[in-house]
Amino acid sequence: MTAILSGHDIEKSFGGLKALSKFNFEVMPGEIVGLIGPNGSGKTTLFNVISGLVRPDSGKIAFEGSEITRKPPHAISSLGIARTFQIVRPLRDLDLIDNVAIAVVYGRNEIFDMREARGKALETLEFSGLAHKAYSYPGELAIEDLKRLEVARALASNPRVLLLDEVFAGLNPKEISGAIELVFRIRETYGLSIVMIEHVMKAIMTACSRVIALHHGVKLADAQPREVANHPEVIRAYLGVEYAGN
Amino acid sequence: MAIALIGLVAFPLFGPPVYFISFVFWVFLYVCLSSSWNLIGGYAGYLSFGHVAFFGIGAYATAMIGKIFGLSITMTLLATIPAGVISSFIAIIVGYPCLRLRGPYFAVITLCFSFVSQLTVKNLEFLGGADGLWLKSMDVPVLVNRTIFYELMLFLTVLTVWVSYLVGRSRFGAGLRAIKEDEEVAQTMAINAPRLKIMAFALSAFFPGIAGGIYACYLSYIHPDVVFDVNMSILQVLMALFGGASSWVGPVVGAVSLTLVNEGLSTFVKAELARIIYGLLFIIVIVFMPNGILEFFSRKRRKIER
Ligand SMILES: Nc1ncnc2c1ncn2[C@@H]1O[C@H](COP(=O)(O)OP(=O)(O)OP(=O)(O)O)[C@@H](O)[C@H]1O
Ligand SMILES: [Mg+2]
Repeated sequence: MTAILSGHDIEKSFGGLKALSKFNFEVMPGEIVGLIGPNGSGKTTLFNVISGLVRPDSGKIAFEGSEITRKPPHAISSLGIARTFQIVRPLRDLDLIDNVAIAVVYGRNEIFDMREARGKALETLEFSGLAHKAYSYPGELAIEDLKRLEVARALASNPRVLLLDEVFAGLNPKEISGAIELVFRIRETYGLSIVMIEHVMKAIMTACSRVIALHHGVKLADAQPREVANHPEVIRAYLGVEYAGN
Repeated sequence: MAIALIGLVAFPLFGPPVYFISFVFWVFLYVCLSSSWNLIGGYAGYLSFGHVAFFGIGAYATAMIGKIFGLSITMTLLATIPAGVISSFIAIIVGYPCLRLRGPYFAVITLCFSFVSQLTVKNLEFLGGADGLWLKSMDVPVLVNRTIFYELMLFLTVLTVWVSYLVGRSRFGAGLRAIKEDEEVAQTMAINAPRLKIMAFALSAFFPGIAGGIYACYLSYIHPDVVFDVNMSILQVLMALFGGASSWVGPVVGAVSLTLVNEGLSTFVKAELARIIYGLLFIIVIVFMPNGILEFFSRKRRKIER
């Protein structure tokens, strides 16, 4: 099987700071991949590079066999790569249904009429558990629902690959179970591949079939969740040097 | 709506004083200008402060086409259409670099663009330079003349407002709204922001281009200080913001009410005092009703028409 999304030797520096260093990755169709790493390890930067918001200094990214490295963000998302933002970025002056309907009408849905798009948006909101808030404004929502809105908006474009940036951060254990269930449901219903950045280990361990660990922009591990969780270098990166070996 | 329109079309037939016809002509002109400004300034949130440039370009393009081809005044009026196209074309060229700038930078660069256009015309001999340009005038009684221009401007204004209405509820308009809210997020929603902005800018230059042409024929004399007057740029922005820049109704309400207020004030109070009241009124609206009077009174929040 060939990868649907892959990166080759990606480098990105901000001033003197290396956010990504010779980074390679692959995502298979239908796969749920976890991306972990301490704060500032370059996870969000990777998403920014994939979605075209940040240009890599060097390296290549390929999607469904063709290179997308220097394409503008709108072209990349119309090919079928959707993302969420770690710090939520709803369109604040628009209600939820319009937030999502715009993603529908510009996405890969063959829908070009706003009215029809709103119908489809309502379905997506329902799927994400936001149907009862369809006519609320983002300012009236709690963070949990704003994160759901990020997911709904990304899903609405009917992508092939979904990049989730810490959508479950700050949820309680019960909500996390619900969120994991949502991730599975997304894959089943939409048949897409998912890359999720997550600090909540429980989510990573249950949802992902493979986990990539990053530290200072360098890949430490790329294996089954259990293996990565027990990887000495990963433990050291998270806990500091003194804990290594314990 | 239809009845109101028929009423407007028939208005000159009831034999109102010429003064009234000219006044309503001005109201239409401003409704047209602020509605077309709203396509880029209101929907997309790119506050162009140099939009009068497209009015001036349209006026000069019409005059020059008429002059070069030796057209009669009727034919010159038809030349306003290519003048609108020229205006849009220049908007594409100017917009390409300028629309990369955001917020105050865009406002300043568009303002500069209108000054540069004005100075260029002033210094070009073949455009009449600082002497201005004469056009052929219509050989008909004043009332007929004013009525013709009234109807033309009415037609253009209705067309502009109709386009603004359609854009407001279309996919295109929704894309512009997203750009206004957060351009980066819009791009990750597969919205081709650079292209949409250029399209909106070109469209918003088309109608002022035609309006400038009609205005040139109406006055039968144009001067850079008149058709590139920066006050006109500012007024069309103020009118759209006053009414509410997020829907097609806002600029219409803003343009009509501010023209009426201005006219009323300058008729009934001293000119200086009128200006002060006018300015104060505007400050009050911007400070207390930042989304325009319409939204303030209706408390309507919906930004995309359904
Ligand atoms: N646009 C930018 N300009 C300058 N520095 C940046 C920029 N974006 C990221 N960085 C830096 O690059 C490094 C990696 O940041 P990144 O946001 O990718 O980390 P992260 O792994 O997502 O962290 P977190 O878990 O806190 O979200 C950080 O040191 C950050 O300060
Ligand atoms: Mg991050």
